[in-house]
Amino acid sequence: MQAPPFTWAGVRHGFLRAQPLGAGVLIYGLVFGILATEARLSALEAVLMSIFVYSGSAQMAALQVMREGAALLPLLATVLLMNARYLLYGAAMYPWLGGAPPAQSYSSLFFLGDANWALSMAERERGQDDAGFVLGSGLAMFLPWVGGTLAGRLMGGLIPDPASLGMDFMLVAFSAALMMGMWRSRADLWPVLAALAAGLVLVPMLSAGWVIVIAALAAGAAGALMHRP
Amino acid sequence: MSTEFLIALVAMAAVSFFCRVGGFWVMRFVPITPRLEAALRALPLGVMVGILAPVLRQGRIAECAGLAVVVLAMRLFGSDLAAALAGVATVAVLRLIVP
Repeated sequence: MQAPPFTWAGVRHGFLRAQPLGAGVLIYGLVFGILATEARLSALEAVLMSIFVYSGSAQMAALQVMREGAALLPLLATVLLMNARYLLYGAAMYPWLGGAPPAQSYSSLFFLGDANWALSMAERERGQDDAGFVLGSGLAMFLPWVGGTLAGRLMGGLIPDPASLGMDFMLVAFSAALMMGMWRSRADLWPVLAALAAGLVLVPMLSAGWVIVIAALAAGAAGALMHRP
Repeated sequence: MSTEFLIALVAMAAVSFFCRVGGFWVMRFVPITPRLEAALRALPLGVMVGILAPVLRQGRIAECAGLAVVVLAMRLFGSDLAAALAGVATVAVLRLIVP
């Protein structure tokens, strides 16, 4: 497989091109920082999580599991299920980055996020060949995410009682909104119904972490079963 | 920072990085079928439902009204951030009124 070009000009171009998306990421980072305060994470812990886990949805779900007592296995299963879509993102990137040296391809994948993946794939369609674009646009998402986390965590300490401000409801509200944003077609109905049935039955029996895991697996099974080619 | 958190952090980071590189790596060996793709795409929806399930099951007035506002705001504005904030504000206000 032929190595794609990977230049600093490409990195710079990707970084600048993704700037409008960075503002949104900054706000999500602030929200995560505030939620982290509520889950009793220190500023250092919140920032380390944003650097090394670097996935808004996975981190917010992980906070919910941590509040239930931080059992390791449901925590990891939650991160795995929330980030399972990255397996596809990576697969779709393979024809482009596959030929690049590992240092370039794996660092690009470390900084990969939903928005810059979509942006990069769109740019690729328009003839972008420089693989540096992926790393550059990834960094444009990563920096405001980490900065927003720190700022949100420091501001979050000033909020007197998160529950009185409804802040403990933020994750639930966000999930509902993200779900509506993710909705593509009526085919999505079956996975949602399967997850809902599993979730409602299991809530009194299992911890929140496992409810999330099993609801996701039910959705995945329904998605596969109801798939029409 | 507790040892417990550090272990959880390293493990979560490893899982997260595995997801980022796993699909890329596997592409060398396995073609992803449309059916497998449909299953993977459905997972995030299931996770969201799993987060909502306890609220729906408990059925408290403030939280359920908050969810209704999120759905409505999302329809009106199409911004998940605005919708979430509207839902949170609804819950905060209703908690003052409904004990």
